[in-house]
Amino acid sequence: MTVKIITDSTSDITSNLAQELGITVVPLTVSFGHEHFLDRVEMTTDDFYRRLASENIFPTTTQPSPSLFVDAYQKLAQESDEILVIVVSGELSGTYQSALSAKSVVEGKCRIEVMDSLSVAMGLGLIVIVANKMAQSGASLDEVAAAIKRRIPRSHPVMSFDTLKYLAKGGRIGRAQRLAGPLLKVRPVLTMRNGEVSPLTRLRSQKASLDYLYNFVAGIASIEELAVEHATTPDDADRLVERLSSIYPRERVYRSTVSPVLGTYVGPNVLAVSVLEAEGK
Amino acid sequence: MKQIKSIGGQDLKEMFAAATNWLEKSAQDIDALNVFPVPDGDCGTNMLLTMRSSIEEASRAPDQNISQVARAMAKGTLMGARGNSGVILSQIWRGLAQSLNEKETIDGHELAQALLQASEMAYKGLSNPVEGTILTVMREAASAAQKQVARGNGNVISVLEATVDAANESVANTPNLLPVLREAGVVDAGGQGLFTLLEGALLYLRGDVELMQFRKSRVIASSIPVTARPLQLSAEEEEAFGYCTEFLLKGENLDLDKLRKKLQSKGQSLIVVGDESTVRVHIHTLDPGNVVHYITSLGTMHKVSIRNMDEQHEDFLTMQKGRMPAVDMAIVAVVAGDGLADVFTSLGASAIVPGGQTMNPSTKDILQAVEAVPSDKIIILPNNKNIVPTAQQVESLTDKSIEVVPTESVPQGAAALLAFDYEADFETNAKLMTEAKSGIKTIEITRATRSTKLNGLAIKKKQAIGLLDGNLLAVNDELDDVLSELLARIDLDKAEVITIYYGDDTDEAEAERVSTGIRQQHPNLQVEVVSGGQPHYNYIVSIE
Repeated sequence: MTVKIITDSTSDITSNLAQELGITVVPLTVSFGHEHFLDRVEMTTDDFYRRLASENIFPTTTQPSPSLFVDAYQKLAQESDEILVIVVSGELSGTYQSALSAKSVVEGKCRIEVMDSLSVAMGLGLIVIVANKMAQSGASLDEVAAAIKRRIPRSHPVMSFDTLKYLAKGGRIGRAQRLAGPLLKVRPVLTMRNGEVSPLTRLRSQKASLDYLYNFVAGIASIEELAVEHATTPDDADRLVERLSSIYPRERVYRSTVSPVLGTYVGPNVLAVSVLEAEGK
Repeated sequence: MKQIKSIGGQDLKEMFAAATNWLEKSAQDIDALNVFPVPDGDCGTNMLLTMRSSIEEASRAPDQNISQVARAMAKGTLMGARGNSGVILSQIWRGLAQSLNEKETIDGHELAQALLQASEMAYKGLSNPVEGTILTVMREAASAAQKQVARGNGNVISVLEATVDAANESVANTPNLLPVLREAGVVDAGGQGLFTLLEGALLYLRGDVELMQFRKSRVIASSIPVTARPLQLSAEEEEAFGYCTEFLLKGENLDLDKLRKKLQSKGQSLIVVGDESTVRVHIHTLDPGNVVHYITSLGTMHKVSIRNMDEQHEDFLTMQKGRMPAVDMAIVAVVAGDGLADVFTSLGASAIVPGGQTMNPSTKDILQAVEAVPSDKIIILPNNKNIVPTAQQVESLTDKSIEVVPTESVPQGAAALLAFDYEADFETNAKLMTEAKSGIKTIEITRATRSTKLNGLAIKKKQAIGLLDGNLLAVNDELDDVLSELLARIDLDKAEVITIYYGDDTDEAEAERVSTGIRQQHPNLQVEVVSGGQPHYNYIVSIE
């Protein structure tokens, strides 16, 4: 039986893509005051940024309740006897805990494994996509899990920010604290290291950050998967894809947007590329 | 919510025994906060030892009613008081004990009253009470307890909760009251210690014993945001701290006021507390012999401690260095002006050496900064042509690895700093930073100090003159005309960002006016105006 793959909404696997690939996405929740929305399900990225710009309320987020995972497990347990759950870094969210605690509730012989991706956004999304591909081609849960374990350190989400204000406010700034509070306008570039947000560099203009993202991808010898995503600036992201088409086929690039829950921490004008580096020969 | 109507002597003892253990877990964190009155870094430890002495004494109390226990604890703190904060703590206990006199048990109302009296007693012990310290925290906490009672919440837990909450806020606010804390970016250590004690007592009373086992109190964050704690090194010699002198004086009919007046002239941070038979004295003095001589004429001295505070301060610095986030590479930058120092610090420089045009720092100045930074690999940004050779001298004088990125202007330095790659190694970073500076054009604008002829330009005194990458190329009556003239010499099509750092004798409105002019002429450019506060140059302009 085919292994079923579950992830959470911070993977930035859009509903369309999830449906197309047969991946189950468990949503986190984003809240404006007392209004709560399931990430991507009840609120789109565009709606989120409209509200963020027009309201004074600072949004908050909540990990999925274990019951959402229980529902997903129970549904998939009828279709398969093996489920692999790959979720956002435990340093950033308690989603891993929710997924894990839901495991004990589900009875029956379906085997469920939960993995911490140590990543987020399409850095997580690309890992999930590869896991799904392997599952579709008939690999067992153990085989997929072992392959994913090798890929986790090879997944590089690189994000260029307008400001780290939101990340700092949301308490997820991690080691990028060193980049906070600059007295010059700079665009910080961050990545994930060992599950934590980590600084790469700072650039002075939007153009320079596009150059940086391009050069980052160009500097990787062999690419297994590539994704480009935006928050509020689709044109910039498209331009980046266009530019990258000289080194990676455009039709193979996963194009996504940051989810409202991620948007809470990254703010507007963010641009990200995620590269899953292929294993050396 | 758990409610407790009253507490007795046994409760008081247990609460503070638990609170003392709670304090013990944080004592080192509190030591590290210590900057007032002297940065000797032992405030947490002193308060802990003082409390231990108090708990010991409490177990010797003849009776377990609250009056006897409190009196024993007050005696214990007085006998065992260590350091400034310990002595103030003993004073707090003295006030508590007085208020609890002759009582079997107390309710919330009486607790609030006792806290108030403790606060008043704490102020009385000091010749010169300073706000933004443990005193303020005690006063504001006590006042919150009063208010809670006035609201009709008389149970002991709710009174103590209000006290702890207020203490928390009060601690966070200490940097607003005491500049030395603000500069160091920390809250007051004594205040933090008092908060931790009160919090520990509350947790115990509420029954959160398990929590107390597995966690520890947090250090309250300053309500003023601090991005980094830069080492600002000045050439001035530091003031000597002298000797921290502490002892117990026993005698008969001792006159505290007279004693206090007499000692006041002999040193600083004076505290005199006690009664007519036993007095605890704490003083920072340059001449402890003189103090001892005077005191022995009044009675007998006990538990004498005289410590060299310069040594203590050095130990503290060593401890601070150890506690600073270990960075494998650090950047030392030379800049003049508060604004520029802030900009460079905010961008990640670990130390700033004041200096620039007409005020070149010595090799020793830079070396000191290099040695003070907690890293073995240091990148130096001289930010001035004349300082580059000075900076290069440093390498032969230190065991640390040094790379000098030969930045010749502030804009080059900022660009180099920004190019720092958090994942690259030392040599690569030096290379990246050197590359980054080459893409920058620098314009510096100032007024001529005398009439002269240079580069074929006739310059009159006080005329505006402009340098492009160090070459004097423009002169005019107005500053902004010189700037426009120099901008016209640069191919601005390739530029993206212009940053204008205005100097300390140039006002912001004027700088904004200049920037508006540039924006109108070059709408594609991002123009930013930043207060540099640099002397000499009205404007330093970066074109990248």
